[in-house]
Amino acid sequence: MEIRKILSSKSMKFVTLLLTAMLIASASAAVYYSLNMTSTITTAANDVYFIPGADATDAGTSIFNNNKSATLVSLKAYANMTTSYDDPIRVRNNNGATAFNVRLKPVSLSGNAQYFSFINFTLQTSTKISLNYTSNGVSWTTPSTSGWTTVNANTSYAIVVQTKASATATSGQIATIEIAIDVEQ
Amino acid sequence: MAPTILPEFFLLLGTDLFLLLSLLTCLLDSKFPKALPYIFQIAAVMGFGQLLISKEFLVIFGEYMRFWYCFFYLLVALINIVALNVYLATAQKMWIIAKAWAGTVTFPSVMISVFFISNYGYVSSAEFPFLLLQVGLVLAAIMIGVSAALFLNPDLLPRFRRKKEVNQWK
Repeated sequence: MEIRKILSSKSMKFVTLLLTAMLIASASAAVYYSLNMTSTITTAANDVYFIPGADATDAGTSIFNNNKSATLVSLKAYANMTTSYDDPIRVRNNNGATAFNVRLKPVSLSGNAQYFSFINFTLQTSTKISLNYTSNGVSWTTPSTSGWTTVNANTSYAIVVQTKASATATSGQIATIEIAIDVEQ
Repeated sequence: MAPTILPEFFLLLGTDLFLLLSLLTCLLDSKFPKALPYIFQIAAVMGFGQLLISKEFLVIFGEYMRFWYCFFYLLVALINIVALNVYLATAQKMWIIAKAWAGTVTFPSVMISVFFISNYGYVSSAEFPFLLLQVGLVLAAIMIGVSAALFLNPDLLPRFRRKKEVNQWK
């Protein structure tokens, strides 16, 4: 009888309601917090990628990783003479409607600077952007990341590569340059 | 960019208001029907359930739909607060408790809701039919003005009532 009286008392009722209220409030807050942290990420195919250019064979261009990576292994630099590869590889925007901004970014460079004068890469968009690696015979000067330029929908643009070895360069010297193309989407 | 509040925030606010109502009606259980605190708890649980559903179907529902059902839930909670205020004032004739309720529950709840809704509307560039914040601020200014007048001159209200009675006799 006494227990029943205690259980039905106002304070007991209030404490019960207070506990359930705290439970509901904290559970709701936890769900809201987790909701705030939710993000949806959908996989998508890339619209901008590499395709081989007209001089791909001369430049030793090979494209892999679903057209997202490429190597140009047959580029030559002749002593005291500028060599230009006009179309060794192209950057294509395959989107039918949207233009994207791209830029060239230096990643890594290795090779003895005394054998080279410059190696540069120019993307032939309407506003040309380039990375120009120059050597003073002692060390390389690595260019900074280029500005953004637009690649129009359904269009491909050549990357022109120009090389020049130093006057005293001996044959068989190798410079390896890795560059990246950032695509702003 | 400043972090925006999600539409589900209004669900959270509505749930908390229902829980508040549940506790207050329990404290004032002699003035309200006995089942009322439990009904408010059930309403709060329903808000929690709605929050879970919203989480599961976040992408399908879209922000527009999510906002409106969350806003509607908050509106129901606010209507309940105002309804209890009116019930205390009219059916129970408990003027002092009704005034205290208006000052401590109804007014702050409405103001907080108006603030968050207008903030959400501003950040999300949503257009509301009324300028909620402006209306809320005008109401707040009126309330503060009346409260200050009554605080500084406590005889004002009885005098106003007497004047009304005299006018009635005329």
